Amino acid sequence: MEVEQLTGNLLQGLVLGAVYGMATMGLSLIFGVLRIVNVGHGAFIMVGAFITLWLFNAFGINPLLAIPFAFMFGMGLGLIFYYAAIRKLRNAPELATLLVTFSFGILLEEVVKFIFGSEFRGYNWIVGKVNLGVTVLPMSKMYACFGSALVALLLYLWFNKTRAGVAMRSVVQDSEGARVCGVNVGGVYAFSFALGIGLTVVSGVMLTMFIPVGINPYMGGGYTLKAFVIAVLGGLSSPYGAFFGGLIFGLIENGSYTLFALIPGVEPFAMTRFLSFAMLLIILLIKPTGLLSTK
Amino acid sequence: MKKKLIKFYPLIPVFTVYILLFFIGKNVPGMWQLVAMLLFYCALGQAFNIFLGMTGYVDFGYVAFMGVGTYGMALAITRLASIEELGIGIIVAGFALALLMSTLLSLAVGAVALRLRGAYFAIATIGVNEGLRFLIEGARIWNGSEGLIFVSDINNILGRDTADALMTFWADVMVLVIAALAAVVTLYYMRSKIGYALTALREDEDAAKVMGINVTKYKIIAFITSSCFAGLIGAASWALKTPYVFPPEVFEIQYTIEAIIIVLLGGAGTLLGPVAGGLIYGISKYYLAVYVPGFQLLIFAPIIIVIITLFPEGILGMLKNRFQNTGLAHFII
Amino acid sequence: MPLLKLENVTKRFGGLIAVNRVNLEIKAGQFIGIVGPNGSGKTTLFNIVNGVFFPEEGKVIFEDQNITILPPYKRAPLGIARTFQIPRPFCGATVRENIAVGAMFGTHGRYVNVDESLEIADNTIKRVGLRKHRDKPAGILTPVEKKLMEIARALAMKPKLLLMDEAMAGMHPNDIDRMVDFIKKIATEEKIAIVAMVEHIMRALLGMAEKIIVLHHGAKLVDAPTKEALEDPKVVEVYLGKNTKK
Repeated sequence: MEVEQLTGNLLQGLVLGAVYGMATMGLSLIFGVLRIVNVGHGAFIMVGAFITLWLFNAFGINPLLAIPFAFMFGMGLGLIFYYAAIRKLRNAPELATLLVTFSFGILLEEVVKFIFGSEFRGYNWIVGKVNLGVTVLPMSKMYACFGSALVALLLYLWFNKTRAGVAMRSVVQDSEGARVCGVNVGGVYAFSFALGIGLTVVSGVMLTMFIPVGINPYMGGGYTLKAFVIAVLGGLSSPYGAFFGGLIFGLIENGSYTLFALIPGVEPFAMTRFLSFAMLLIILLIKPTGLLSTK
Repeated sequence: MKKKLIKFYPLIPVFTVYILLFFIGKNVPGMWQLVAMLLFYCALGQAFNIFLGMTGYVDFGYVAFMGVGTYGMALAITRLASIEELGIGIIVAGFALALLMSTLLSLAVGAVALRLRGAYFAIATIGVNEGLRFLIEGARIWNGSEGLIFVSDINNILGRDTADALMTFWADVMVLVIAALAAVVTLYYMRSKIGYALTALREDEDAAKVMGINVTKYKIIAFITSSCFAGLIGAASWALKTPYVFPPEVFEIQYTIEAIIIVLLGGAGTLLGPVAGGLIYGISKYYLAVYVPGFQLLIFAPIIIVIITLFPEGILGMLKNRFQNTGLAHFII
Repeated sequence: MPLLKLENVTKRFGGLIAVNRVNLEIKAGQFIGIVGPNGSGKTTLFNIVNGVFFPEEGKVIFEDQNITILPPYKRAPLGIARTFQIPRPFCGATVRENIAVGAMFGTHGRYVNVDESLEIADNTIKRVGLRKHRDKPAGILTPVEKKLMEIARALAMKPKLLLMDEAMAGMHPNDIDRMVDFIKKIATEEKIAIVAMVEHIMRALLGMAEKIIVLHHGAKLVDAPTKEALEDPKVVEVYLGKNTKK
């Protein structure tokens, strides 16, 4: 009985983990290319969630169709923020970029609160369920999982098969060298920031497919922290590392929840969160470049 | 002799501000609440500046030290409440415990996180803060997520009148004393080798090492000092003013952010900066809450972005440049 | 007793051997030139001497003390100072503060207080001719001034051994003359051993060296008195590019 429950939870964890992973790719991409930690990360996820919610509730648009819209919107936001502030902070101390990205997050939260209010919302998208033997999953969660995996795959192909993708990779490895080789480094920075934000907003769509309730302007904070743990798991500067980090994180989160629930006298939810941060510290200590990186 | 005294001139404007605040609060009716808030923000800025400003390391988990300080006071009061002859000594015990707990935590965090640099350090400290909060809630330490409520304990042991005076007035005076103490320590560091070592490692850690500076030692000194002040502020302002403690409140990352804003706004690594930053931040927050309730953050966020992109040196940086070769230069650092 | 002795020092980065079994001896007060093209392992060698890297093999001995795995901040007080190829001033601090840091944590660091250090800084500033920049932030100096300031900072440490990494790289010819004169001056005035590292054979500077060491692909190619070294056919080969095989 408990074994079956654990397997079911782990499977759920894997499905959720794919979404988590996708939700961290933008963070890793921006850190990898620009060496900036986007502390306002979760707010961009929240924007994606609201886009989905708004399109669904106001126009009845299928959340899957919200993805391209969210992506374009995120790219636009990214470009605006890049040219408004990030570009001027290229050589500024870390403190400045941390605080500016944090302020972006606050700004987005407050604007969304201004427009939509701060109560919790949700939507109800019924597309059936699928029985996986040990557990039953709504199809929407499967869409979110496969959608995330597909985005990760597309990003991988784009990085490796297109000229722009290769240029971006060269900047990650050696920005000075890339500049010498004629790569428009400034352009790559702007585009990477926009792409990172675009991906993050899309992940907000995916997350609402997984959890279509609890949407509110401040929902992003928790995801920012989870994304940090996942990004560090995956090596902080590698988007694919982040994707696999997400899978591992999803497994650990759901698996440990089941186990903590068996221990009397503890609150399993809080202990699960504690475990993820303990993991973060341990990984940072023993291998700050990430468990999944070969460096 | 005069040369020796000149060194302490920068304390004059700081103390003038604190004394003025105290008298305004004491004598203008209805002002004490605002003054108390300003004192809190000045103290917070001064305390955090010792680490953030002087080392350039971003500790996103700074509020955790205020949190354990609050718990220190709370634990002392709840555990010692039965010993009635302790009287006001219980507050002293509370501060001692707050100091001890924040020191221990800063030693542990410092030993682990200070090996990391830049973004890795910042992320690790977020992990410490959140991890600690969820450990307290999850393992039900110190009453877990139900928190500790000790209003009745304070009333019992001190008597209602003393307890009221403590909560509404003396706690804020204690914050004032802590802020003044932080200013003295900051200036002492700035004028000693510690300050020079910290400046060097903030600007270029590897070069500092080659110059013979034991960077780990000086980072830890700044970290522990700053964290201890945070613990004291938590004990005085949070535990004594509002005699209860809940994990989500005392580990709220928002306070770390406020502290960062204050330090940056005023000028990181300066003595007068955090005071100026605390005053401006506190006053604007207070009046924004009065005139545009609910929209403070909407207004703050763009302002922060503008300040950081256009005036990265903060207010003090600008003042310093302006008064560089005048007599006032001795007062402004 | 040699001041500094390297015994069979080897340092690898992954599969790449940056420094390969290098032996070296420097006597107190000696002026030595280390020459080698870019990537020949010069900077790595410096980093081994001042402790930024620890070698995988071999020993570093300073005044009879084995310092092979001593952290850098413990080596500076022994009397090892360096300047960087690209100057690394503490940009936000003033020139005076920068140099005072040298005095404070250098060889006599333990015995001087802040005021004395600032006094040493003032004297050093006069000597290098940066007096009018004394209270400016070091970050706004010109590249040449930064180099001078870095040397002043190193001198304020009162070192026994001064490692100068490309003191003239990227300088205008006029400035190079000024810098060479300056280095000559401190070499004669101070009783410190100077190891100057240059990418190209600079007769102006190397002329005053007692001996020259030529590094090539991490290994010592030549170690001879200046005159011999400069005429060594192997050196000519390295610099005229006849030896193109890697």
